[in-house]
Amino acid sequence: MELEHSFTVPVPKNRAWDVLLDVERVAPCMPGATLDSVDGDEIHGRIKVKVGPINMMYAGTARFIEKDAEAGVVTLEASGKETRGAGTASASVHSVLEDRGAETHVRVKTTLNVTGKPAQFGRGVMNEVSGKLLNIFAANLAATIARDEGAGGEGGAAAGGAAGTEGSSAEGAAGGSAAAGGAAAQTATAGTAATANGVAGHAAAAPGTGTPVEELKLPPRATASLQREGLRTAGQVAAKTEDELLAIDGIGPASLVDIKDKLGELGLALTAGTGGPAAGPAQAAPAATPASAGPAAAAPTGSAPAGMAASAAPAASAAHQATPREAAHQLEDDALNLLKVAGLPVLKRAAPVLLAVAAALLIGLTRRARRRKR
Amino acid sequence: MIPAKFDYVKPSSLDEAVRALADGGEDAKVIAGGQSLLPLLRLRLSYPDLLVDVGALDDLRGVVDEGSSLLVGARTTHYQVVHDPLIAEHCGLLAQATQTVADPAVRHRGTFGGSLAHGDPAGDLPAVVLALDGVMVIRGPGGSREIPAAEFFVDYLTTALQPGEILTGVRVPKLGGDWGYRYEKFHRTAQAWATVGVAALVRRSNGNVAEARIGLTNMGSVPLRASAAEAAAAGAEATRDALNAAAASAADGTEPPADLHGAPDYRRHLAKVLTGRALAAAAGA
Repeated sequence: MELEHSFTVPVPKNRAWDVLLDVERVAPCMPGATLDSVDGDEIHGRIKVKVGPINMMYAGTARFIEKDAEAGVVTLEASGKETRGAGTASASVHSVLEDRGAETHVRVKTTLNVTGKPAQFGRGVMNEVSGKLLNIFAANLAATIARDEGAGGEGGAAAGGAAGTEGSSAEGAAGGSAAAGGAAAQTATAGTAATANGVAGHAAAAPGTGTPVEELKLPPRATASLQREGLRTAGQVAAKTEDELLAIDGIGPASLVDIKDKLGELGLALTAGTGGPAAGPAQAAPAATPASAGPAAAAPTGSAPAGMAASAAPAASAAHQATPREAAHQLEDDALNLLKVAGLPVLKRAAPVLLAVAAALLIGLTRRARRRKR
Repeated sequence: MIPAKFDYVKPSSLDEAVRALADGGEDAKVIAGGQSLLPLLRLRLSYPDLLVDVGALDDLRGVVDEGSSLLVGARTTHYQVVHDPLIAEHCGLLAQATQTVADPAVRHRGTFGGSLAHGDPAGDLPAVVLALDGVMVIRGPGGSREIPAAEFFVDYLTTALQPGEILTGVRVPKLGGDWGYRYEKFHRTAQAWATVGVAALVRRSNGNVAEARIGLTNMGSVPLRASAAEAAAAGAEATRDALNAAAASAADGTEPPADLHGAPDYRRHLAKVLTGRALAAAAGA
């Protein structure tokens, strides 16, 4: 299905262009949308749709596939999967900006394709819903662009508003724009976000080590187990090897993955001990992901477009951000581990068969043995 | 498919039900006959945390004569509406339209109020109540309130009911003997939703149409009144030609949905044809 919208905003074309390419400002215009992470031109996010009794949730990615500042044409392609079902949704959003002096006319053409139950439910539920959503989106976008004009210079005022929480994030402020600092401050609990270094986007290992274990937000059982072993801080946990942790009562492979995740967010990793193939993701992460310093640091990555951190809204959305690595984990979680799920039941069923075979062999052998005796 | 997990309560009084709903907030849902909600639950399109079953609230069941109007309880089943003598005598349009709702099994379980509170623009009853100028009686934590049907249907599957509120009944006016009525429904199979439906009420006087009210089913995201056609029909001769001419403006200003059952243009065409037929039948032409 195709949907068309147009609106006029009271700012010159180049200003409108900046806003339209600023994912962190555009995303909050979509009702129910949450940004998970922004990695260059690739955007990970979720959208929650609620219409009367119907609610749907999609998670997916969006990508700019065309950006032509001269012509004022930008095309965004998005595709997502239902988080609680098998349905999919994909959209191509084609926007054309038209210069009208002090004003800009924006035409948005959206092609939408939805599969799965919501689509089968038929009777145009999705058409209704998406049409409504895009109406609200277009209205919000127009309002956002108009409001930013009123807010004056590049994000200064807006960033000030965002930074009004706790000013403990010196690194964030150094990391470029003031707004980035605001974003970091929003989520910074002392210690956790302190590793954010917006300039280079690399994690400094040290500052997170003092974080108490209970602040790692591990499952209660894992936290208790670690504490029982006298591991009180993230640094102490990181000093252990994988095998040492696995040896602790109450820490299994699943907890280990969690621990590595959380340490990774702090820019820490387990000590490479006896190694093994599983030394894996946590250790590789800090180097591989620019935003390894956790939720707060995801916003001010070096790869993000310069203008993106310039309003109050992104600061709020930054609180929800996850590192790309976490997104990868969610994907892995989707894959069904058959052995894990069905291994034991299969073995249980196989047991009688194996017993029967063993018994038959035993009987056969004894008979043969008897025959030989004779 | 098996619905997602939810809590379930079955209060024995309306106050209790309202309290339970208010406590549940946004994610609490009323269940009455369950004929719309259960499919949504089973398709996992809906994930309420709490279902408040109003099945034990017998006060909400049945039709009460209030002098110049009837109060139809929200829990009255479609079957009861179809067979109720008061409705048959004073508000035949309601019985006629309800007769076309889905199939007998659904009509035995599904409720009048549930169908309205669901706010499905393809449901037959919203357009009928709209044409009847019904008044919705609502009970919430702050007490009772009444709003006209025209303000009740807000958007697709969305009504003016706030979280914590229950639709307890609908007040419909008694129609005198000079009123004629007709519900025309176009659907592919007997139990299907209306591709388009038209509810027409006509007051006759000396062979002319003195007043017409037309409600449209599935011609937008909410049930609609065909105001242009109503105005055109008022004062027209009660003849087929005159009423067909009036019906030509039945689809004016509508934005019908596009789906597997019909394109918007087709629906606009259907609205005109069905309005012509409904007006003619209602006017006895």
